[in-house]
Amino acid sequence: MTLPQEGFIASDGDQPAQIASIDSAGLNGVVSTLDTTLPPSATPSSFDSTLTERLPIRFTGSGSEYFRIWIVNLLLTLVTLGLYFPWAKVRRLRYFHGNTLVAGHPLGFHGDPKKMLRGYLLVALLGVLYTAAGSFSPVAGLLAFVIVALLWPALFKSSLQFRMANTSWRGLRFRFKGSTGGAYRALLPLFAPSAVLAAVLAAVPDQAHPPGWFGAAFGGVMGLTLLSLPLLLWNLKKYQHDHYAFAQLQTELRAGPRSFYGLCLKGLGVWLLSGLAVGLLMAGGFALLGDGLGDWLRHRGAGPGRRGGIAAVILVVVLFFAVSLLMQVFARPYFTSRFQNLLWSRTGNRQLRFKSDLRFWPLLRTTLQNWLLMIVTLGLYWPFARVALTRLRLESVGIVSRTHLDALVAQAGLEGDAAGDAAGDFFGIDVGL
Amino acid sequence: MSAPAGPALAVDFFDGRSARSHRVRIHVSGERLLISGDGIARSVPLADVQWPERTRHGARVAHLKDGGALHCTEATAWDAWARDSGRGETLVVRAQQSWRWVGGIVVALVLVLAAGYLWGLPWASRAVVAVLPASVDREIGNAALKSVDGDLVQPSALPPAQQAQLRAAFERAVAQTWPQSAPPHELLFRRGKDKSLGPNAFALPGGTMVLTDELVALVDGDESVILGVLGHELGHVRHRHGLRMLVQATALGVVTSVVLGDFSNLLAGVPLVLGQAGYARDAEREADADSVRLMKAAGISPDAMVRFFEKIAEERRKRSGGGEPGWLGIAIASHPADDDRIRYFKQAASQ
Repeated sequence: MTLPQEGFIASDGDQPAQIASIDSAGLNGVVSTLDTTLPPSATPSSFDSTLTERLPIRFTGSGSEYFRIWIVNLLLTLVTLGLYFPWAKVRRLRYFHGNTLVAGHPLGFHGDPKKMLRGYLLVALLGVLYTAAGSFSPVAGLLAFVIVALLWPALFKSSLQFRMANTSWRGLRFRFKGSTGGAYRALLPLFAPSAVLAAVLAAVPDQAHPPGWFGAAFGGVMGLTLLSLPLLLWNLKKYQHDHYAFAQLQTELRAGPRSFYGLCLKGLGVWLLSGLAVGLLMAGGFALLGDGLGDWLRHRGAGPGRRGGIAAVILVVVLFFAVSLLMQVFARPYFTSRFQNLLWSRTGNRQLRFKSDLRFWPLLRTTLQNWLLMIVTLGLYWPFARVALTRLRLESVGIVSRTHLDALVAQAGLEGDAAGDAAGDFFGIDVGL
Repeated sequence: MSAPAGPALAVDFFDGRSARSHRVRIHVSGERLLISGDGIARSVPLADVQWPERTRHGARVAHLKDGGALHCTEATAWDAWARDSGRGETLVVRAQQSWRWVGGIVVALVLVLAAGYLWGLPWASRAVVAVLPASVDREIGNAALKSVDGDLVQPSALPPAQQAQLRAAFERAVAQTWPQSAPPHELLFRRGKDKSLGPNAFALPGGTMVLTDELVALVDGDESVILGVLGHELGHVRHRHGLRMLVQATALGVVTSVVLGDFSNLLAGVPLVLGQAGYARDAEREADADSVRLMKAAGISPDAMVRFFEKIAEERRKRSGGGEPGWLGIAIASHPADDDRIRYFKQAASQ
């Protein structure tokens, strides 16, 4: 297979400045230039430095309509004991893709549910064996873990390949061009800490009385894992974002591990700060209500004899959950928005770039609203939540193109395996946004 | 035979090789879809078209088998054209687009979930467990015992004579209750390592039953009470509750993840915990029934278990009065709705 795109992946240092200037130009006059016809023979020189088109992304899905699709999918999935799941997934993806308009043209999803069903059955079998092995004996569990760790990268690659190959825009399929070897290099480091821990555990003769060095080794591995987490994340995302391809264009992630470390540190900071804020607020609350609460506890304790201690314990547990939840409420949307912006604004090549501008506050508001309504409706709000979140996240992304879109032509690609797609669901592989 | 041509519609055509769009007109003629435009004339078998489904929002994209695609952003125009061209709709699409259908489906969903929880899952877990060989229970039980022994419990301090006596009494009662086929069982005497376990008895999958010295002390060595408790634990073994709970928990987890998607692990855990608690209560009732059966076969009045619950309640009061948190054992003591169970044993005693 030829790689015509290698020519223009060459690094381009001034790209951010370019985007800024495009941004100030605004959205006007964007789609109008799209249909200017160019002879297909212009392909090799389709790059045009004078051209800057901003292709907006719009999401037109509606919560109430997705609710109807979701509930029908759910019933059919349950009454068929899960066999309908691939069909449900295809309906969902076709709805979400069909409502994602890039420069006015929808994405298409082509997956064949029958092929996907085979994949699901295979992966379900693997999953059952994995779960069963874990409760059977530690050795069997370890063995299953090793097998899954060895299979996972291949499945991961396959999953991305399948999803991309079955997604199209303007009649052209997307592709994922990562190699299997690359998938192993991207994912196996993530298993390394667990592997080292398992080796350390195996070296301990008596589990009940570990030797003195065990605690130090354990702490060391944990600390190293935490420190290398941003690097591992970067390694993974680099593999993903370097290999998305459309027509003769292939993307590249132009961000180094440093920006990932910066983001993780900031996320940690927000997490700690919100924890501090929540703690101070609660302390203030106790200072105000403290006497009353103390009296209440003492009263309960003196009354029927045993409730005081339990009430205090329950109070502590509830407080603990409340604090950790409140810390998450701020830190998660913060990290999500900044991570999406970092990842997608640095993805592209000389001809095509993404620009993500997902703001923290709207995301926080949507997250809070979703949580509240999910609890109030006992989960029935889920499809609405999903649509709201998808709209917010997709519409904050734009594409800046310096190529004539009509000059884009299809390239041969590989289909990928439906089993990989199923594995993606099972192991929570997240494709795209 | 040439069928009459259907109505025409103007759409965008992409040939699958370039991103260029071509304005074309399409119409259905017989079993073929005809595409015609500037320099384009194609005839595609209808079976080679992946048709879009009707939705209120979103554009229509029809994929052709050779890689081409037809796009129409005016959804209503496409839908009218498809209808007039004789394209039928599946029941699923009609249901998705009708609030009346959706209302019915919500009701059906609630019924399916309730029936699945009340009958489907318990039945399925019994069926799965029936297929699994007893060696699976034993393996899991052995692994569990290994993690408990030495960590949570240590060897018993009861005099060997008392141990032997209790063991013999229990074996007699088991033989009287199930003369032909007694469930596999092995009784172990253990002592709690600290106070966390307390007076307790528990059964592991495969038939290993552990009785703590603290429990024997709590009931002052009352043999009939101990036999009642052991009968309860043997009930868990006989019904293979350990394995069934494992199967049910897995299935519940899958269902909640299907229903709630990946919204939040914390939220998805709530129905899981509640659902498991419901099954645990059912398992206790089944085990209590076996306890009554064993006591009656051994000529003991089920009143013995009423005495046991009173002792437990007393111990709980004493512990929390002494400033310790009122956490009592895992298996017997913390079971919900003691009042119901006391009533059950009282009723069994009066029959």
